[in-house]
Parts: sequence; structure tokens; C-alpha cells
Amino acid sequence: MQGGEPGKMQSAINVTPLVDVVLVLLIIFMVVAPNMRPGPEVDLPTTEKPLEQGDARDRILVTIDEHGALWIDDKPCKAESFGEGLRAAAGAARNTRVVIQGDARLQFGEVRHAMLAIEEAGFKGVGLIAKRTGAAAKGD
Amino acid sequence: MQNGGSSGGLQSEMNVTPLVDVVLVLLIIFMVVVPLAMTGYDMDIPRTSTDGPPAQEDVQQVILSIAPAACRILEPPAEKGLPADCRVYLAEREIPASDLPAGVAEMLGTRSKEDRVLFLAADDRLNYEGVMRIVDLARSGVDDLTIDVIEADTGRNQ
Repeated sequence: MQGGEPGKMQSAINVTPLVDVVLVLLIIFMVVAPNMRPGPEVDLPTTEKPLEQGDARDRILVTIDEHGALWIDDKPCKAESFGEGLRAAAGAARNTRVVIQGDARLQFGEVRHAMLAIEEAGFKGVGLIAKRTGAAAKGD
Repeated sequence: MQNGGSSGGLQSEMNVTPLVDVVLVLLIIFMVVVPLAMTGYDMDIPRTSTDGPPAQEDVQQVILSIAPAACRILEPPAEKGLPADCRVYLAEREIPASDLPAGVAEMLGTRSKEDRVLFLAADDRLNYEGVMRIVDLARSGVDDLTIDVIEADTGRNQ
């Protein structure tokens, strides 16, 4: 009764190929998912030594695209309703931080006005997102 | 000389499956973490005078002014760095932008962390990326620097 008989039942399935395929699929989706984001495309400014700004998921993400249009958490927002939009995005959480992803081609004034609006909406300070020079481009 | 079972027998192929699994899991972890970690700069916007007295009343304010006449960054700067002749005003003194880390360290490095405040008065017409690169230089001078963004005209008149 030793191995090698063709009709013999194996008690355990070999799951390794299955696990490998699942992991590869997971990777493919993870690579593709950020590019399917509904938000606008921004060309972030690049600097030498930007500091860590934490995880994007805990922040209110304000995006200002090339033309100065505003987006809150990847949803377009009119300039007139920007303050309300921010407060709605913050919800009950009072200490949420706001970060601005401004396009590198903007004028500084446009970003400054957005910062003033964020301050008026009751948020304390903002983070300005930049990319380290030479770091791989994200989301494009 | 039949197959398998002898404890001293050499296996010709290494079992790579656990290795592959570990590598894939590491790959996934990096892929999840990298795109969501953001880098940038913290900025404060001081409240207008009607909201109460400004902080820093007893300490001398250090204002970094950037004017388009002294630093031509109205258009996005080149791939990296700033125009070589870019000059900025740090506390009313005109210095080359490359001297900014040393200048900021000299003026603010000796203060306590709460008082390390740099007021940024950049002209509204300047390019955002250019201003960010100047901020990057200023911030590399000292640790724990707070940057307060003020209007450019206010900065020049003080």
C-alpha cells in the first residue's frame, strides 16, 4: 500500500497554485486601482525634501487642478460652496486635517486663496502636498 | 536504491513555494502603502486681526518675502532646483535663495520650538512649484519650523 497507484485518492488538495494565482490577481488590481480613481489629474510640485504627511485616508483631500478648479476628496466642488463642502467632508470629526494637492503650474495666489477658505471653514492649518524630486510619478 | 525516504538523500530541487509566497506578500504590502503615503509641508494661516491679537507679539517676526522681480519664477521652474539668480528677502535682507537654509538657521535656530515661526509672504503671481521649492530650502535650515502664510503686501509693509 505505498504511493504511486493511479487510482488512489489524495486527502488534501494542493492549494499552492490557487494561492499564487489569487495573489497575482490581487497585485494586478492593486496596481490598476489607483489609476481608476475618479479624481482629476494633477502634476504635483517636486521638491528636494518634503516631509511625511501621513496617510491619505485620514485626511480631507483638496485638489486644485491646472485650471484652478477645486475638488474635495476627488469630487468636483464649486468655489462658492467650498466651505460647506469642506464641513460636509469633515462631518462630525473636528480635528480632521486638510491637505491640498495643487498643480505645479498654478499661481501661488490660487493656492493661498484656497488656504484662506479652508481656514475660514474652521480648519487649523493645511498640508501642501509635494513629491520628492525623482520619486516615481503617482496615478498617471 | 529506490526513491525517497532516506534521511541523508539530496533533493535536486529546492522548494521555492514559501519563498515566492513571502515575496508576493511583501510586494502587496509595499503596493498598498506607497501610493497612500503623502509628503509635503505643513502650513498655517494666521487668523485676521479681528479674531484677536496675533501670536508672536513679543518676539521679532521673521518674514520671508518672495517677489517676482528678484526671483523669476512666474513660470514653472525647470526639472529641479530654482533659477540660479533667484534672490529672496529674509527679514528685509536680500539674500540668494541658496543661502536660505543657513539664513533661517541663524535667525530661528536658537529659538524654542514654539517660536520658530517663519512668515511666508510670496507674491500671488509666482508659480506654486517655485514657491514650494523656496519653502523646501527654508525648512531644511531648522527642524520643527512653523510656516505661516501671509499676504505678500502685508509682508512688505511691515
